[in-house]
Amino acid sequence: MSQFPGANAAPDDAEYAVVGAPLDVSTTFQPGTRFGPDRIRRFARTFDDYDRRTNSFFTDHSVHDAGDLHAWDDAGEYLDFLEADLREWHDDDVTPLLVGGEHTVSVAGVRAADPDVFLTVDAHLDLRTEYDGNELSHATATRHALDVADEAVIVGARTGSPEEYERAAETDVTVVPPEDVAEWTPDLDGEVYLSVDIDGADPAFAPGTGTTEPFGLTSREMRDVVRSVAPHCLAFDTVEVNDRDDGQAAALAGKLLREFVFTHAAEPSA
Amino acid sequence: MAREQTEVRELQEGNYVMINDTPSVITAYSTSKPGKHGSAKARVEGQGVFDGGQKRNFTNPVDAKVWVPIITRKQGQVVSTSSGEMQVMDLETYETFTMRVPDDLDVSADDEIEFLEYEDQRKVV
Repeated sequence: MSQFPGANAAPDDAEYAVVGAPLDVSTTFQPGTRFGPDRIRRFARTFDDYDRRTNSFFTDHSVHDAGDLHAWDDAGEYLDFLEADLREWHDDDVTPLLVGGEHTVSVAGVRAADPDVFLTVDAHLDLRTEYDGNELSHATATRHALDVADEAVIVGARTGSPEEYERAAETDVTVVPPEDVAEWTPDLDGEVYLSVDIDGADPAFAPGTGTTEPFGLTSREMRDVVRSVAPHCLAFDTVEVNDRDDGQAAALAGKLLREFVFTHAAEPSA
Repeated sequence: MAREQTEVRELQEGNYVMINDTPSVITAYSTSKPGKHGSAKARVEGQGVFDGGQKRNFTNPVDAKVWVPIITRKQGQVVSTSSGEMQVMDLETYETFTMRVPDDLDVSADDEIEFLEYEDQRKVV
């Protein structure tokens, strides 16, 4: 396993920790999220260390790559173990950067971070109680997050079941459809967990994902959401990248992770 | 030493275990599967029993040996109190010792209390 480029900090010096979670058990169409962490590290190699906007170097932000937490086929057990691992980083005041893996891994991320707000960029509402009889399916991530967070904001959502839209109509859920994202500014009450499901992007920008959904966000819209939310965040994840493209999805996910770090490091806990 | 050895796999939430030589109560226990190139590991999270609940944790293979402190729950009787400390008599051994009165406890002479004891560390339940 290669290291995320520029994530050179030793664990004891870390401000941020990249944690790979290659879970791939409930993918419903195209599998391959088990390769997500590797792909994201690989396709981040071409990025410059220097960020003009923040006038800073990625290697100066004390990012540590903790490698991958080997995943197995019992999602419930795996999420418990992953949650404990992430909680350890939080206890040491290190901001976890979780790299999936399917969207289910966000459940562990949210439980470890205990945020007020779960903000996800996602094509799907992910508010199902179960999918194909599985309560820990990737299609249930936001519903599980609401067991911890007081509210959920789903940015870029454009599809779901009638039951999911019914749940989304309640006061603790805000849906920002793709056509409204460019004009959207966050109104966030408390500490935020940011989860970027790469399928929030239009498949033209990120074809390498399990359930592509057209009419999505541009990569620049994704970037602007990450920039506007990052200062309020306790933790970040990017999920649902697989190996079924030429690296577009992985490159976008890796770039958004870096945008998160550059912005969060410049204005932590705004 | 009032402690015994066990394997990490035998532990569960609510048990006592030594973490960094400190008697702790386990607050969370999770295990990983080994895969092809590893060994199954357990991540144990705990809080100190006698130090105000300091968080500690460790990750070890499930067949690793760990020490479990033998912490006893005992009855005592308050003999006297003065300036935030109390003299307590162990109702089993009749020895007396001095303890700090916890902030959330209002005691006076002759009250009976329950306390946890490990070597020379004690904590009112």
